[in-house]
Amino acid sequence: MATQSSEVQAALSRRYEAGFVTDIESLSLPPGLDEDTIRALSAIKEEPEWMTEWRLSAYRHWLTMRQPDWAHVRLAPIDFQAISYYSAPKNKPKSLDEVDPKLLETYEKLGVPLHERAKLAGVAVDAVFDSVSVATTAREQLAKVGVIFCSMSEAIREHGELVRQYLGSVVPQGDNFFAALNSAVFSDGSFVFIPKGVRCPMELSTYFRINAGHTGQFERTLIIAEEDAVVSYLEGCTAPMRDDNQLHAAVVELVALERASIKYSTVQNWYPGDENGKGGIYNFVTKRGECRGDDSRITWTQVETGSAITWKYPSCVLRGDRSVGEFHSVALTHHYQQADTGTKMIHVGRDTKSKIVAKGISAGRSQNSYRGLVKVEKGAVNARNHTRCDSILIGKKCGSHTYPYVEVKNPTAIVEHEATTSKISDDQLFYCRSRGIGEEDAVSMIVDGFCKQVFRELPMEFAVEAKKLLEVSLEGAIG
Amino acid sequence: MNTAAVVPFVESMRSAAAALRLPGSGLAWLDATRREAMQAFVAHGLPATRNELWKYTTVRGLAQRQYAPRDDKAANRPVDEALFPPEAMDGPRAVFVNGVFRSDLSRLDRLPDGVGLQSLSSALDAEPEPLRFLLGAPKDAGDDGFTLLNRALWADGVVLRVAAGVHVRGPLHVVHVGVAADAATAWHLRSLIELGDDARLAIVEHHVGEAAAGHLANLVCNIKLHEQAHLDWVGIQRAGADATLLRCTDIQLHDDATLDFHALELGGKLARHEIRVDLAGARSRFESRGAFVLHQRQHADTELLVTHRGRDTFSHASWRGVADDRARGVVHGRILVLPGADGADGGFYNKNLLLSPSAEIDTRPALEIYADEVRANHGATVGQLDENVLFYLRSRGIPLEMARRILVRAFCAVTLERIEPPSLREHCLALLVEQLREAST
Repeated sequence: MATQSSEVQAALSRRYEAGFVTDIESLSLPPGLDEDTIRALSAIKEEPEWMTEWRLSAYRHWLTMRQPDWAHVRLAPIDFQAISYYSAPKNKPKSLDEVDPKLLETYEKLGVPLHERAKLAGVAVDAVFDSVSVATTAREQLAKVGVIFCSMSEAIREHGELVRQYLGSVVPQGDNFFAALNSAVFSDGSFVFIPKGVRCPMELSTYFRINAGHTGQFERTLIIAEEDAVVSYLEGCTAPMRDDNQLHAAVVELVALERASIKYSTVQNWYPGDENGKGGIYNFVTKRGECRGDDSRITWTQVETGSAITWKYPSCVLRGDRSVGEFHSVALTHHYQQADTGTKMIHVGRDTKSKIVAKGISAGRSQNSYRGLVKVEKGAVNARNHTRCDSILIGKKCGSHTYPYVEVKNPTAIVEHEATTSKISDDQLFYCRSRGIGEEDAVSMIVDGFCKQVFRELPMEFAVEAKKLLEVSLEGAIG
Repeated sequence: MNTAAVVPFVESMRSAAAALRLPGSGLAWLDATRREAMQAFVAHGLPATRNELWKYTTVRGLAQRQYAPRDDKAANRPVDEALFPPEAMDGPRAVFVNGVFRSDLSRLDRLPDGVGLQSLSSALDAEPEPLRFLLGAPKDAGDDGFTLLNRALWADGVVLRVAAGVHVRGPLHVVHVGVAADAATAWHLRSLIELGDDARLAIVEHHVGEAAAGHLANLVCNIKLHEQAHLDWVGIQRAGADATLLRCTDIQLHDDATLDFHALELGGKLARHEIRVDLAGARSRFESRGAFVLHQRQHADTELLVTHRGRDTFSHASWRGVADDRARGVVHGRILVLPGADGADGGFYNKNLLLSPSAEIDTRPALEIYADEVRANHGATVGQLDENVLFYLRSRGIPLEMARRILVRAFCAVTLERIEPPSLREHCLALLVEQLREAST
């Protein structure tokens, strides 16, 4: 370990020698939330008047709402007045030496490039390294075809009309408790606009966009694909993000117009807390896509392994005729993690199709729930849905739950749901072991096979990392 | 919750509690239980759709209605023979008309040895103490507005006990009849069925009613099966077209006990049945098969909540539903496997046909698993009749309507196949066909 740290140290100090400046934002607001906080936040971000008003109306609505309690999760009450709604990251470790060795060990196992480790661990250097050049080239390339890809703050300043037109049109301000909070105080996020007929020349990812490297607790992402546009967006990273924040309430909105296609992939690995369930992130996210135009398509793919509590349901509103919604998910929980995740497929247009594949793996003392809604509205002639949920349990103390809701109001719809829950079969384990494969490896092989259907949907590099991530996350689950 | 005070329904129940002289009044523990339950009901009000078990069944319409506390003439009202299920004409039976036990219509004189069947009020008169565990039990978290109301206002019911080792041949019938009265009446019945070790019994529960009788029946039943006991239970529900029927059945199975349940839900305007099954004993088994066929504005809700508590328990449920016109069918099947319930094997399967653009099906299978040596599956589908099959039948000269009926009948009949004896099965099939014919006219 010592040699490694010194290597890292060496690498870091080289950068400094080269004249890199560490740029830490020094502005921060005191903890607490009221209208003044929001005005101040909006002022810091140099937002136009309408945006400030928009935030305020969301805040006023939020005040009338109660925190929901229907999810199958247990959490300590959240003190919303104790959170600082705009703050520069505090208490950052100065170098990798100060970072939890366990975290570094995980990076090692995942094969995260050395220069990225510092950034992921939240070391207080402007840890962009090689990505700077990558990002710059990427931006030039994107600008050439007319794709707008920037931070939300920048978009509000420079593409105000577009933002104003679409923001909150999929997830309204008062949609739910956390979405309302997010609408009032969101700090930053990504904005993507793919103009008519453009096939985005590369996979977009927050990795490449340096200016929103640390978007904080309340991210707001908006992706718009105009007619015939195609885009694939990757969110998150495969290595654990060190973060002291307790609550993450993000909102993601996708809009697909005629024949557009949006693919949104997430690998979420926020800090899950330690083996005793101490600490960790509350990840309460509202993600929703609207297939607004005919023949449009939205695909959600998620691999959820992190966070102490995950509470999110990436959804599709299939408004356009013949539009397609897909949801592929792997959710893994270990130790004391809790996940209540799933999707909603709302069929509104004619001949709409949706497909749900959800895989849950629970180990340790974790609780893992799938919760999904398939709703076929009256006018959704010939709607078609197939849902498949499988769960496996590893260990005696964990729980795995499935709560699907099926509501059908059109007689031409065909909706199918099936689910199974079981432990890893002894036969499969025995087979592997009899071929000389160790128990842990055997389990990870079986889990990998179990998740294959979802991994196939991920971009290649992500799929490889996701597979490794599951292995790492499951360590110590056996025996 | 203060708003509950102004709800006409709640008011009518409150005044019923004040006006009625209910069985067992004077027993301190019973009076206290009733009083507490009534207070809890007034505080609670009617179940709201926020309650997950009532998510798809709204009783907002009921809240504005008032019901008479009892039908004073129920003891003498003539009952149309045609209403009576023919297969219940011979053999032992208990008959309730508008919630009142009718000894003249019941036949309890030829009960086999070891079987005790009497009305709850007379059982309580004879010996209250053995019923205290049931009637004096404190309210629990699972109680909703209607079970609380039942605790407070039950006026009668059935107490059926089978002694250990007794195998009863032929089914017992319990018949609930709703006939038109001077005013729409609400009644609340509480029943207990208890089978001793290695006892065997078959029971058929009928709900029948006249079309114009817009009563509210609120029935709570506890079923307790001791070790190795076996119960065959068939519920045939064809309550009157204007009736509201709310049932809650609590079932507990001890080691090696088994229960086979068949349900046919055809009647009522609003019919809801909550079945809570506690597989407490090792190797206990619960199998259920049911079908509902709804038309016009009918609403039927089946809530099947199975808890696997003992080791190596088994549950299987297969339900099919058909909704036509503006009807709405709701099915919720939850399998809960508690920690330590290793070897549990649970399955819930629900298939539905939606036959009209204004009908709706809401199905919700759920698994909650807290143990790992477990197999749990569920499946749910909503679809319509296969056009190809319809075409095939029509190409053989079968008119469209008849072809549809044939297919729907076949779709539902699967759930009735195992009903014994065959005569009862035939009767159920006949009722099914009759309902389909009504639906298509």
